[in-house]
Amino acid sequence: MSAANDDLALPRGFRDILPTEARELHAIERTLMEAFERYGYVPLEPPSVEFARAASTVDERRMMRFLDQGNLLALRPDVTTALARVVAQRYREAQGALRLSYFTTVFRQDRSMRGSEREYDQAGVELIGPTGAVADAEILALLCDALTSLGLRSFTIEVGHMGAVRALFADLPAATVETVLERLRGSDLVGAFRVAADAGMPADRLEHARRTLAVRGRGIEALGDLACVRDLRETIHLARELFAGDPPWGVPDLGVIPALPYYTGIVFEVVSPHVGAPIATGGRYDELLARYGTDRAATGFGIAVPLLHQALVADGWKVSFDAPLVSLEGGDDAVRLRVAAALRGRGFAVALGGVAESAGRAIVRAEVVSAERVRIDGRELPLDAAARELSQAGPNR
Amino acid sequence: MALAQGTMFDEIRASLEGVGLPIDGLTGHRRLVVRSGDVEYVLCRPSDVPTYVAHGAADLGIVGRDVLLETEEDVIELVDLGFGVCRFVVAGPKGSLDRSLAEYQHLGSLEVATKYPRVAQRHFDERGIQVELIKLNGAVELAPQVGLSDQIVDLVSTGRTLRENDLEIVEEITTCSARLIANRASYARDRERIAGLVDRFEKWVASR
Repeated sequence: MSAANDDLALPRGFRDILPTEARELHAIERTLMEAFERYGYVPLEPPSVEFARAASTVDERRMMRFLDQGNLLALRPDVTTALARVVAQRYREAQGALRLSYFTTVFRQDRSMRGSEREYDQAGVELIGPTGAVADAEILALLCDALTSLGLRSFTIEVGHMGAVRALFADLPAATVETVLERLRGSDLVGAFRVAADAGMPADRLEHARRTLAVRGRGIEALGDLACVRDLRETIHLARELFAGDPPWGVPDLGVIPALPYYTGIVFEVVSPHVGAPIATGGRYDELLARYGTDRAATGFGIAVPLLHQALVADGWKVSFDAPLVSLEGGDDAVRLRVAAALRGRGFAVALGGVAESAGRAIVRAEVVSAERVRIDGRELPLDAAARELSQAGPNR
Repeated sequence: MALAQGTMFDEIRASLEGVGLPIDGLTGHRRLVVRSGDVEYVLCRPSDVPTYVAHGAADLGIVGRDVLLETEEDVIELVDLGFGVCRFVVAGPKGSLDRSLAEYQHLGSLEVATKYPRVAQRHFDERGIQVELIKLNGAVELAPQVGLSDQIVDLVSTGRTLRENDLEIVEEITTCSARLIANRASYARDRERIAGLVDRFEKWVASR
């Protein structure tokens, strides 16, 4: 008995995705990829495994690494870094803009017993080449458009600027600035200000930095006419031109400091009241590609699909179908197959017999009477009448 | 707001009162969810506070930095509240340092008992010292006396327990005190209220 149970166990952080959820995740994938397609982004799929040193922008303790014939490999922890490598390798000579999208699995070594998954889907886009507010705005608008197309209602997009954050500590020595930023990326505001204070930052500058990092919304206007703030406001303004949305979206928030270290300019996070962590993170990362020998500007975002799914479900979202599934029984084999083909020809989904579970879609049982007639709910109907009946039946469960 | 029960609770209550938050019904006994004015307090074990906040079950929390270092949850540290000061230290039996070093030379590894394996591992990793960690759940100072470990990593406030057990501090790892922490999403969503609260806590800390 216990031996059998051991055989059934899964490694921590890995799980089965059962039909209802799998269907929902596929619906999310379809809608997101369609939205990315509408803005001209083409899909690209890097491999799941790479050399551990290639994935080096992620804290190595958070990568799932293993040995393969003496080489240290890692399961892809982040798609942006992988795409940066692809661009440097395969689009080295490209001059124009590259618009790339992905929906794929990432693997993170998470601290045990936190209820988090080690394998999950990430969706996103990268816009390589163009700089400036129009490019940043396109990415923001696309993100809002994609989430709205899915039916996500309650969310805000918080938009910050790493340049503005960096400028606050510009008087400190370069190495100290990096330590301060590292603390800020780790959400340790107390530690960041302590490092700055220890390096001799005056109390009034510290207080100014502390207040500025808490600025959200209209408060940004009080910061005066700084280049980064202008950039931030123009980006949000242009993004709303590209995708109006309703109500107005995109909130300036200088407290947005993503955990990944490669961001240089505009940064943003999507926050839902139903989920404890940001659903999506993104921004400009103009220096990452240079590490791979291709000095190109870039911006993009990544959506943590499980968190998006959680927010959608909390919003009451469901996958909708246009008709129920027909489960066909009875009759002799040849006739049953012919009826199934006829119904499929009319656009219905037909299973010969049962399915694993309804998974959100209504199932109508039909019994084959002859090649032209089926019995539904005890009533015998010609196929045309049965088809009418089926298309009026509730498609969702 | 998630609050750590235990030794720090009275000071947490005093700080809440100091910044003008309602504290009626916050006795630290029995009731685990206490509504007071427009604030709902969740009273839990210190080591669970970061978990409640990281998962968004609480928007804010007050907990020692020692707990944050050991749990490594993703929360925003907003204010150093200044109380509950304690230190993570490496300690060993009095006069044992030479013996420990000799053993490290001989066996290439030290045995270290601790309740805080992550803090201990990070510290020794940073120093490039190889250790075998022995996870205990209490009374760590006992371990070197009975030969379970060469050294310990523990949290001390006055150092009295160490002295009473003939242990001395070999090295200080870091100093910790209580922190006001926030959930990442709540901090974005409820910025005005939280930033206002941060100001009040900062003023309260400065006035002490």
